[in-house]
Amino acid sequence: MRLVTATALVKSYGSGRAARRVLDGADIHIDAGELVALVGPSGSGKSTLLHLLGGLDRPDEGSIELAGRRLERESERGLTELRRSQIGFVFQFFHLIPELTGEENVLLPARLRTNGGRAPERARRLIADLGLGDAAPRRPAQLSGGEQQRLSIARALVNDPRLLLADEPTGNLDQDSGHHVLELLRFVASDERGVLLVTHDAEAAQIADRVLRLEQGRLVE
Amino acid sequence: MRLPGGPLASLRRLRARPGRSLVAALGVAAAAAMLGTAVTVGYGLHTGFDRAADRADLPDVIARFDDQPVAHVDARLRALPNLRARAYRREFTGVVLQSGPDVTGDGIVQAVGPGRRGYAIARGTDVRGGDEVVVERGLAREWGVRVGQRLDVGQGSLRVVGVAVSPDNVAFPLAKGPRVYVAWGALGQRFASRPDTNLALIWLNDPSQLDATLTQARAASFGLGGLRFLTRSGVRTTIDQAAGIVVALLVAFSVIALASAGVMLAASAAADVQRRLQGIGVARALGFTPRSVAAQYALDSAVIALPAGAVGLAIGALVSYGPSARLLESLNELSPGAVLLGPLALALLGVVALVAAAAAWPAWRAARRPVVSVLRGGDVPVARGTPRLPSGFVGLGMRLAATRRRRMLATVAVLGVSGGVVLTMLGMARLLDRLQHDPGLVGKRYQLTVDAPASRAREIARLPGVAAAAPRYVVFAADSFELGESLKVVAYPGDHTPFESPPLAAGRRVRSAGEAEVGTGIADALGVRPGAELALELPTGREVRFRVVGLVRAFDNDGRVVYTRPRRLLAADPGLSGPIAIKLANGASRDDVVRRLGRLGLEPQPVTAATTRNAGFLGVLAALLRAVALVNGIVCLYILVQALALTARERRSTIAVLRAAGAGQREVRRVLFGAALVVVLGAAPLAVALELLVLAPAVSNLAASYVSLPLAVGIGQIAIVIAGLVVLAAAASALAARQLGRERVVTGLRSD
Repeated sequence: MRLVTATALVKSYGSGRAARRVLDGADIHIDAGELVALVGPSGSGKSTLLHLLGGLDRPDEGSIELAGRRLERESERGLTELRRSQIGFVFQFFHLIPELTGEENVLLPARLRTNGGRAPERARRLIADLGLGDAAPRRPAQLSGGEQQRLSIARALVNDPRLLLADEPTGNLDQDSGHHVLELLRFVASDERGVLLVTHDAEAAQIADRVLRLEQGRLVE
Repeated sequence: MRLPGGPLASLRRLRARPGRSLVAALGVAAAAAMLGTAVTVGYGLHTGFDRAADRADLPDVIARFDDQPVAHVDARLRALPNLRARAYRREFTGVVLQSGPDVTGDGIVQAVGPGRRGYAIARGTDVRGGDEVVVERGLAREWGVRVGQRLDVGQGSLRVVGVAVSPDNVAFPLAKGPRVYVAWGALGQRFASRPDTNLALIWLNDPSQLDATLTQARAASFGLGGLRFLTRSGVRTTIDQAAGIVVALLVAFSVIALASAGVMLAASAAADVQRRLQGIGVARALGFTPRSVAAQYALDSAVIALPAGAVGLAIGALVSYGPSARLLESLNELSPGAVLLGPLALALLGVVALVAAAAAWPAWRAARRPVVSVLRGGDVPVARGTPRLPSGFVGLGMRLAATRRRRMLATVAVLGVSGGVVLTMLGMARLLDRLQHDPGLVGKRYQLTVDAPASRAREIARLPGVAAAAPRYVVFAADSFELGESLKVVAYPGDHTPFESPPLAAGRRVRSAGEAEVGTGIADALGVRPGAELALELPTGREVRFRVVGLVRAFDNDGRVVYTRPRRLLAADPGLSGPIAIKLANGASRDDVVRRLGRLGLEPQPVTAATTRNAGFLGVLAALLRAVALVNGIVCLYILVQALALTARERRSTIAVLRAAGAGQREVRRVLFGAALVVVLGAAPLAVALELLVLAPAVSNLAASYVSLPLAVGIGQIAIVIAGLVVLAAAASALAARQLGRERVVTGLRSD
């Protein structure tokens, strides 16, 4: 089942002579249960594409369809609602909130849902499934990078999104921790979710169902 | 290595970050507006009397006496060695004045003789002929009298040629009777058969020799009946009695507002440096010296502070100038006008210097730290030992604010001081209200007075609803040794405490006719203590002596009051009389008692506490307080917005993550509200404690050291201020959330 389809995406930064077209007609689709790896040199536009698919930014041209809705036509409120219900994000630097415990960080997005009554139970299950029982009551500063990233994956999954977007999730981890995180993402995708993985990691490319390379603003398989 | 210097380079730097510069400018403008208000109110009130007295050429002494031929009085005055100049007037009281529908039977007409005037012409010209009249400014304003129109004075109609200001009394309608001036030549035609005088204006060569001159004047006054002297300082005291405590309160408030604005300016500038800490680290890493970094920050801040401070001071001055001018008009004093520009310019210099110093000091301190530490310590939040706070978005906001403890404490301190000042203003407003309505506040326990002979006191005391009634003798006397010190002597035939019971500060109550309780106001001025002898010179010229047995904290007459028994006074002045003070029985209806007194042919007057009884005047004061409170409210809002802007900027990645997870404007607002709330929750008790323990006693002491003013606020007012702070927190979080909503989520995510 197709989760997201993006067609002829164009995105430029700067203006005049300094203008740079980062995406120049990029096409991409992700199916349920699929893990897609996106690779390319630094500055090639990988994160930009991820942000467009996640409704964090808008394309200059082209269309993105997610859960039957056209993202470029949605209002800010509509994009917010889509992110809340359909999309989960995992960041390279984890972006856990240092004042909250691991469990509170995981639970935070659930507070955004109007029907978040089952969220605590779901969060606890995720924490247990991801082996984060010891990390849950502790603050991020007391946790290893691998634990923090697994908590951020749990946080991304707490609202049960269809699409998970991971931006360099292993970029700030040692080899072992990175391996665990990739296994986890693979497991996430097997649960009928789509996962887009922006990475420089060769191992990440190996576990992906498809590997897309961003070159000259376009995607090649 | 030095940073590129000069104001132009600073301007370029500021233009490179317009949003932040605008926020800093708004902060300086808000604090400067508060300062502008304080300067306008404080300077205007503090200098109003002297300005008006100088402009009006107010004499050093005003002597009143029974009607005498001018030549007779002039012969005695000419003999005074310290005399510089003199002028004579003839005063008529109870004259009917009418202009259209406005009419009063309490008009005061003064026929002015040749020589110096003692009043200033504010509009039009002075009187020259018998058909002309100059009216006091209060009358012109209250009745809408204009130069050129006619005014009915007594039996005739005179042409108004000018409007005068004379600070020897408060203005109509604060004063009961409006004053008008006619030419001496009009005397014979309209008011009197013989051109006598009953009022002399005396200017001295050496005002410091006033006491000696008054002694000489009294010695030479044989044959002048009803002689009373009013000195320039006495005039000031008289006028101060009218606005009295409230004017002193406003001046005291201005001093506190000034200090508060200073704290805010310093905190605002320090916060800006904190926000730019990483920039300091980078500059140091590039090799710039701490001195050049501090100089750059000082210059950048000064470039912002100069225009923003000027705008803020102008706003503060404009907002408060109108109410302040109306208050001064009520007191027959003059607004500073363009002279105010001087203090405002000084205030601007102060603002710029304070902001520059406040920016340079933390920048210099930061620049002296190891570069790596500055770079690391820039905006990296540390979440060590965050206190346990509620969960949820509001709780998250509280935690975010609590992480930066020093900043939070500084914000709490500034907001607490501002809240304390607002509470103090409410306390002042409450005091004004009580002064107007509650005679018990000033120790008066009687509710009514009637003008009736002392012999009717027993008859009145027997009326149902009346607990006690006694004649209240009042006479204004001078201290025999310091004649410039006038004081009010109040005497009751028996114990005065059932009628007036100001708190006893030292000694005991009066028990016999030769004893006196003395107000701390006069006790301080004369150095009188229990056990001392007090010698008073009555208007009749006779002297009476009392043994001081107690000191009382009396409001009346600025504490320049003496309580005693009337026997010695009546012996010295058998014509002394006074109204009968009536104390109502507990639960008695005032209206019923008034009706019963009416049946006896008496016209009772209600007793008020305030030295001023004019509702319009109190309205002016309230407007002034509101203007200052408004500025203070805006300042509080700015403090919160700035604190939130700092938190939001520092935690933009946290906010961005929330937004990426689907948080909308509402959730972001709740987070920011939590950050503001934690500050408000800290500031509110601080504000209350500050008001109760520091500001109220300080203002009370500054305003009237001779009594304890009940300036403490009530529960209701505290609730209003706390609710106001919470509303401001909501408004500030809405503003900051709106600002954040305009930023792209991606920008926030990249900020780490």
